[in-house]
Amino acid sequence: MAALLEVKDLVTAYGRIEALRGVSLEVAQGSITCLLGPNGAGKTTLMMTTAGILRPRSGSIRFSGHEIAGAAPHGIVERGIALVPENRLVFPQMTVLENLRAGAYQRRDAGGVASDIDRMFTRFPRLRERSSQEGGTLSGGEQQMLAVARALMSRPKLLLMDEPSLGLAPLVVEEIFGIIRELHRDGTTIFLVEQNAHMALGVAHHFFLIEQGRITFSGDPGSLAEDEVIHRAYLGSAKA
Amino acid sequence: MLADLIQNTLDGLTAGAAYALLAVGFTLIFGVLRRINLSYGAAILFGVYTATWTSLNFQVGLLGLALLAIAGTVVAGAYVERLCFAPHYAGRENSRTQAQTGSIAAMVASFALWMQFEEVAILALPKHLYAFPPLYTGEPLQFGGFLLRVESVYLLSAAAAVCVLLHTILYRTRFGLAVRAVIDVPVAAQLSGINVSGVFVRIFALASAIGGLAGFLIAASHEQVTPMLGMWSTLKGMLAMMLGGLGSLPGAVAGGLVLGILEAHSQWFLGPQMRDLLAYLLIFALLAIRPAWMMRWTTTRSAS
Repeated sequence: MAALLEVKDLVTAYGRIEALRGVSLEVAQGSITCLLGPNGAGKTTLMMTTAGILRPRSGSIRFSGHEIAGAAPHGIVERGIALVPENRLVFPQMTVLENLRAGAYQRRDAGGVASDIDRMFTRFPRLRERSSQEGGTLSGGEQQMLAVARALMSRPKLLLMDEPSLGLAPLVVEEIFGIIRELHRDGTTIFLVEQNAHMALGVAHHFFLIEQGRITFSGDPGSLAEDEVIHRAYLGSAKA
Repeated sequence: MLADLIQNTLDGLTAGAAYALLAVGFTLIFGVLRRINLSYGAAILFGVYTATWTSLNFQVGLLGLALLAIAGTVVAGAYVERLCFAPHYAGRENSRTQAQTGSIAAMVASFALWMQFEEVAILALPKHLYAFPPLYTGEPLQFGGFLLRVESVYLLSAAAAVCVLLHTILYRTRFGLAVRAVIDVPVAAQLSGINVSGVFVRIFALASAIGGLAGFLIAASHEQVTPMLGMWSTLKGMLAMMLGGLGSLPGAVAGGLVLGILEAHSQWFLGPQMRDLLAYLLIFALLAIRPAWMMRWTTTRSAS
């Protein structure tokens, strides 16, 4: 499979501290690719750099063959990448419906947007029930679904997800991973950052380990024992 | 006594409506950019002086002067935005300290431009005072013994119209959705594909246009301009914005009206020396007793 996203020798720094110290990885078209690693390893930094929120110091990010490293976030959304950020970051003072409209901000096809909103409501029935409620009043799980739906409203070719299971009850985590599988079945390429290695390895086709700003392992879920993965990623959480 | 109270309140509304307009412009910039623009008043001075200079040299009607004041302020505002604010927009910096330094740098730089605008204004029109064509030359309106200046009807209607316009923009347009998203969670707005610096530029232009309108109405109802207009606008606008609780548009309007009415009463009962003092005293009391009042719109959310 061709690579949809190609990251090469990426360095991103906060002041003098380098959070990414030359990261290279690929996300194949049509795959679910997962990035695992301990806290502070640079997972979120990689996601934020890919989405254009952080500027890399050096290195390259190619998406469908186009260089996007250092491009403005709205330009990256335009190319077809959407990020479901860590901690969801729904708009707390805007209604669920407005959150979805904001996600479709760049689209000019009002009819298409309306039918996509309806599709989101069908996929996430609880969002329909709460469509006129403010984002801040939703539960954690509902906010996660809203964040996913908002990202999908831009019709991305590549969906980046940063810790979608963070702080959610096990049943809700199951639901979120069910949605990830569904989205993949519908043709979206997914690049997922997770702390929950067990769940992530359950859906991923390919995974990378990141430690202290460097990729230290890359393989298929079967290529390394799950215990070993968890150990190497210092995840701590016992497997289910 | 009661008659005085009513008449003072009516008088205070005129100044209050002007303060409200100034505070709305300030609040737009502060609420969306989270930055204090110290040269807001100076840009208004530039716009009003452009109109004054034109009226001294050419025959231009009131509407033409209003448009000139607005255009001049927007041009000056764009200059401030490009020079002081654009280089420091969040999202182009990779650390929190850099973002904070940017906020201070923008504020200090905008102070420098304040001085620049004042110097340019004084160079172009060096006298201390210039006449500005009056908004209205007839008698004030009378309601059973009470007087209401026609200018104050103009100012109040302008303030009301600006509020309705802003509300419509914020809640009925695509641009308004983007603005609210940026106010709510700037990073999420960027991730949703909203060009945040584009929103900033347009908010700056909108705030400047409101400031220019306010400056024109103030100059035309005072029938004169001085180079102090910049300082005056910044001070009154900021005071009204703080009274309204930083960052809320209805609060800015209320803060402006309260400030105007408060000034009218204190001038009448305590004398002109006490007029400004009382307003500062109120701000001081609010800060000392209820600091949360001023932060209530800015701390409700935090994007990490």
